[in-house]
Amino acid sequence: MHHGALKRKDLFWLALVALMALVPAVSVITANSFLMHVLILILLFASMAQAWNIIGGYGGQTSFGHSVFFGIGAYGAGMAVVTYGLSPWPGIGVGMLAAAAVAVLISYPCFKLSGHYFAIATFAIVEIFNRLFLVWYWVGGALGLDYPMVEEGLANLMWYDSKTGYYYCALVLFALIFGIVRFLEGHRFGYYLRAVREGQETAESLGVNSTAVKLTAMALSAALAGLCGAFFVQYNLRVDPGMVMSLDMSMKFVLVTILGGAGTLAGPLLGAAVLIPLQEYTRALWGGLGGGVDLIVFGMLIIVIVVKQPAGISGIVRDIAKRFRRPADAKGGTSVGTA
Amino acid sequence: MALLEVRDVTKKFGELVANDRVSFTVDAGEIVGLIGPNGAGKTTLFNCVSGLYPVTAGRIFFGGAEVTGLPSYRIARMGAVRTFQVVRPLKDMTVFDNVLVGAFLHGAGGAQAREAAESCIELCGLAEYADKSAGDLPIGGKKRLELARALATRPKLLMLDEVMAGLTSTEVKAALELIRHIREKGITLLIVEHVMEAIMPIADRVVVLDGGINIAEGPPDRIIDDERVISAYLGAKFSRRLQAKREERTNA
Repeated sequence: MHHGALKRKDLFWLALVALMALVPAVSVITANSFLMHVLILILLFASMAQAWNIIGGYGGQTSFGHSVFFGIGAYGAGMAVVTYGLSPWPGIGVGMLAAAAVAVLISYPCFKLSGHYFAIATFAIVEIFNRLFLVWYWVGGALGLDYPMVEEGLANLMWYDSKTGYYYCALVLFALIFGIVRFLEGHRFGYYLRAVREGQETAESLGVNSTAVKLTAMALSAALAGLCGAFFVQYNLRVDPGMVMSLDMSMKFVLVTILGGAGTLAGPLLGAAVLIPLQEYTRALWGGLGGGVDLIVFGMLIIVIVVKQPAGISGIVRDIAKRFRRPADAKGGTSVGTA
Repeated sequence: MALLEVRDVTKKFGELVANDRVSFTVDAGEIVGLIGPNGAGKTTLFNCVSGLYPVTAGRIFFGGAEVTGLPSYRIARMGAVRTFQVVRPLKDMTVFDNVLVGAFLHGAGGAQAREAAESCIELCGLAEYADKSAGDLPIGGKKRLELARALATRPKLLMLDEVMAGLTSTEVKAALELIRHIREKGITLLIVEHVMEAIMPIADRVVVLDGGINIAEGPPDRIIDDERVISAYLGAKFSRRLQAKREERTNA
């Protein structure tokens, strides 16, 4: 019974990715550059939130430090291009590894803290890295890195004329990260991660090395956040510390996931699909009122959702689906045997 | 050679001595009961053996290897797995997934682990709850879940911490049946229990703790005659009841 349910779920996701791959064929959409921009950001933020979801949702360790890993990934690609005049690809690899290494180094002592103290410690780390990168000459300091003009294409991961190339890159990023999390969900590591979230001592009593599980999840989560950061800088063509390594950026990892539903596969996509258009359109409409209108809307939405349904949008979707499914269940629900 | 050997284990919390030089052994294939009044140090001893607490002094051996000071997941991997007196379901996971976590210890491959989990759920009478959230189980179900989850790890030694407390007499009967069945599968059992009628008929040997000290050890028949156990724990009335029951059995 379990396997059948899994397959149907996978088909849904594959169909979704296929559908999204067809979007650039619709000329009405590609002609609207702002709409393409919003779609790319939805895919990027869904991927970022899903990367966070590994340790924050499935692992239950609320990290406010993910902008650091995102930033390291962004700087990895940025420095390869700007400082060393290379293709971004080697920088992406180095950035992901560096993000994972930094994540392991800082979370090893932090995992000894439990609950809120872990979250607070990760807050502090964002500040430390922000200041460090501001004064670090080698990485461009406060001025940041500005991309030169290079030849467009996949080798340089850069396109000037249309956003279609970026859209497909974002879609690959999305499919990769969601695919990894989907794989983990059904395998031992994913179960161990959730077990550690639900009860660390219980998990240990069943033979789970909780420290190793959390560190591995953190390293994977950070490396994928770094990959997202690399995409971000390639799209943005500029990076400075305030842009990537900030509490604002860290909050987005957390809020998108929690709004959508932490610890669920669909949550990060649902959260991004609601928040990102809201953010971009409010900015476009009311940006003249001064910065932060989008954050006011963000904040109000979070309050409403969390009060109504702590499991986020995916919780609401599940409730609605249940309401529709109940009549069908009642018909075939007599097969429960007695032991 | 004993499967489990507890040698002079002492556990102090500050000035409080919870276990004072406790020694006993459990042989492979046995059912050993660990009894004693509230605060005697039974659960503390469990926590020491399973690696949840570091011991203050003394040594613990499992399967011939010293396990003193090892983290609890290493001890579990060696085959000594325990349940918790205060049930600890992994609340937001289904009953099936709870048991699957246990089953993954000796079946990294999904299919094998799933099969093992399913048979443990069946065995513990949880089949109808398999897809329910573990947090929603009634207390009896949560106790059985503790058992199913530990059993799914395929332990050599299963340490049960009051799995029968709070159960109805029908449920106790079912649990005893289950414990006998587990022993037949070749699993050694160390059982902390307050329900004397439950533990006495199934235990091969009983270890009695009082005030952190091991005051008696032996087959149940001898334990119920032991003066020190009667005054410390059983009480004269209860001891007479158990003796009467024994005579009934021998006469019959």
